[in-house]
Amino acid sequence: MTRFSYDDSDVVVVVGSGAGGGTVANELCQRGLKTVVLEAGPHLTGEDYHQDEWPAFAQMAWGDTRTTSGSWQVAKDFPNLPAWLVKAVGGTTTHWAGACPRFKAHEFTARSTYGDLEGTSLLDWPIALGELEPYYDKAEIKMGVTHRHGRPPLPANNNYKVFANGAEKLGYRYYSTGPYATNAEPYDGRPATLQDGFNFQGDKHGSKWSTLVAELPKAEKTGHLDLRPDSHVAQIEHDAKGRATGVLYIDRNGTLRRQRAAVVVVAGNSIETARLLLLSGSPQFPDGLANSSGQVGRNYMRHTTGTVWGQFDKPVRMWRGETMAGVIADESRLDTDRGFVGGYYMETISLGPAFLAKFIAPGRWGSHISDLLDGYRNTAGMWIVGEDMPRADNRITLSGDTVDQHGLPVANVHFDDHPNDVAMRAHGQRQGAAVYKAVGALKTIETPPYPSTHNLGTARMSQRPRDGVVDRFGRAHDVPNLFVADGSVFTTGAAANPTLTIVALATRQAEYIATELNKTLA
Amino acid sequence: MGSTLVTAQDRQTLVNVVSAAFPHSTFPRGPYERAADAVIAQAGTDPRFLAQLLQGLTDLDAQREVRFSELDAETAGAVLRGADGSPFLTSIVDSAIVTLYSDPEVWDLLGYEGPSYDKGGYVDRGFDDLDWLPDPKIEFEDEVPA
Repeated sequence: MTRFSYDDSDVVVVVGSGAGGGTVANELCQRGLKTVVLEAGPHLTGEDYHQDEWPAFAQMAWGDTRTTSGSWQVAKDFPNLPAWLVKAVGGTTTHWAGACPRFKAHEFTARSTYGDLEGTSLLDWPIALGELEPYYDKAEIKMGVTHRHGRPPLPANNNYKVFANGAEKLGYRYYSTGPYATNAEPYDGRPATLQDGFNFQGDKHGSKWSTLVAELPKAEKTGHLDLRPDSHVAQIEHDAKGRATGVLYIDRNGTLRRQRAAVVVVAGNSIETARLLLLSGSPQFPDGLANSSGQVGRNYMRHTTGTVWGQFDKPVRMWRGETMAGVIADESRLDTDRGFVGGYYMETISLGPAFLAKFIAPGRWGSHISDLLDGYRNTAGMWIVGEDMPRADNRITLSGDTVDQHGLPVANVHFDDHPNDVAMRAHGQRQGAAVYKAVGALKTIETPPYPSTHNLGTARMSQRPRDGVVDRFGRAHDVPNLFVADGSVFTTGAAANPTLTIVALATRQAEYIATELNKTLA
Repeated sequence: MGSTLVTAQDRQTLVNVVSAAFPHSTFPRGPYERAADAVIAQAGTDPRFLAQLLQGLTDLDAQREVRFSELDAETAGAVLRGADGSPFLTSIVDSAIVTLYSDPEVWDLLGYEGPSYDKGGYVDRGFDDLDWLPDPKIEFEDEVPA
């Protein structure tokens, strides 16, 4: 295990080890750069994971307190759990299911395509699809995405059979079992899936791509990775010239440590990344680091989501097999005649009885809950995930008086649904119900949004420094050796699940850092 | 362990509260008892919740001529709805919904199979055994036009 000295100011410090941080770290290590990864959570591995929803959640989830505000239903249902993310090595790639759609060309020009929609802060990305395509290829190859680059598709599981037959009957055309970043056959030293049905709880078998099983072990082999779990970064430090000089973090013993750095890359997921930049304010940067635009924490997006369950008179057993290996892409098209802008995907989903009972109508009880559970065996499920609108006041701020176990102010997550989000969710739930009714559902049930798994936009990319926080490579407009590598940089959210795009952007960013480090940064 | 302040009668009432909140005709009493015991254990670590629990159970027992646990299912449901939204009932429901539907006996009754990794997953055990619909295509033909 490699260790670099606290005073080694040549290292790149990466905060967070998920899709963005883990990928940047590996790409930097492959180029011979000394890399220190500071991960707030513990180093769990496949053997540690529980195939039991609540113990798994308790083990993996970011359970440190957060607060919420705004009119979104999550603030009412889960006031201290606005997001369902992982605090462990590998970050939320250990929890994600694996769906890997790419962005479409028009989704990089949301402002130009959708127009000046009232109550939004839409902006075009400073990059186009063409610029990212080679990195999408690299990311898909890295992740072993099915249906791409010669990787075979996953077979149809029971939940998919219901979903796909309903799609066909409804006249949908673009349905399939992927693209999906879990091995249908052995690939990259990892085995084929056992179809064991557990994704959100961590994959014990290692068939699913995550930075835990793919990027970080590869980085480790180079001898250039210093991975430090249980290390919570409290502040990014800077010098009088406004350059980052390192970070202060709390180690597993509660000791405050300083790690010097040539470059700092922040990838703590959209809520913690914004929180850390805000916590890193100083007399020189009174509104937080990299925040001269006032945009840090703003434009928070969480995708328009909802779930539809269909119950039948025959068994489905949706819990068997790969949870999200099923997608209907027809509604992701550009078509503003549906009463909303943006598109959405329908994707198969399954929850065990414990989470289904909790999420189906949070806080409620009675026979309408228990009757649905009685039909559990005969239930099929799908998730709606679509583009939501960025809004300046949907934002992460530091909570006034609530602090975490380290005494640091926690993040408050404020969100108000835009009317476009509401219209899209209603459309998606109606279409989802129609899919199940087309194959004989006795009843369909709509579940409100879960705590957010797709957290985006709080340090967005912009051409002009006044419109966002980072540039086209994820470099802070204000701080030349500070980068952001997670979904915070998304200028707009698109309909696609974000992980593939985060990995593509992080791969591109690492290439840029490695090139620049010997020129302007060093 | 729960507090000694929780009497056998209190526990009896609590078991009936949980079963009235999540009524399943197929469930025996065991899972409801385990869910109630988890509520009592939680209250044992939280004096405020314990106080609400003791007072709330006493109140429920006083709602009708007979104790709560002697009410028929319909009346019990109606009495419970009268307490909907109270901190007392909310705390019970929040705890019981977790325990009840994490209970392996309940999983079995609902048809859920629980952990599968030590059995080799479902790759050879029916992940695709649904036979009442035709086998659908799994490949996409091309990309959705923008």
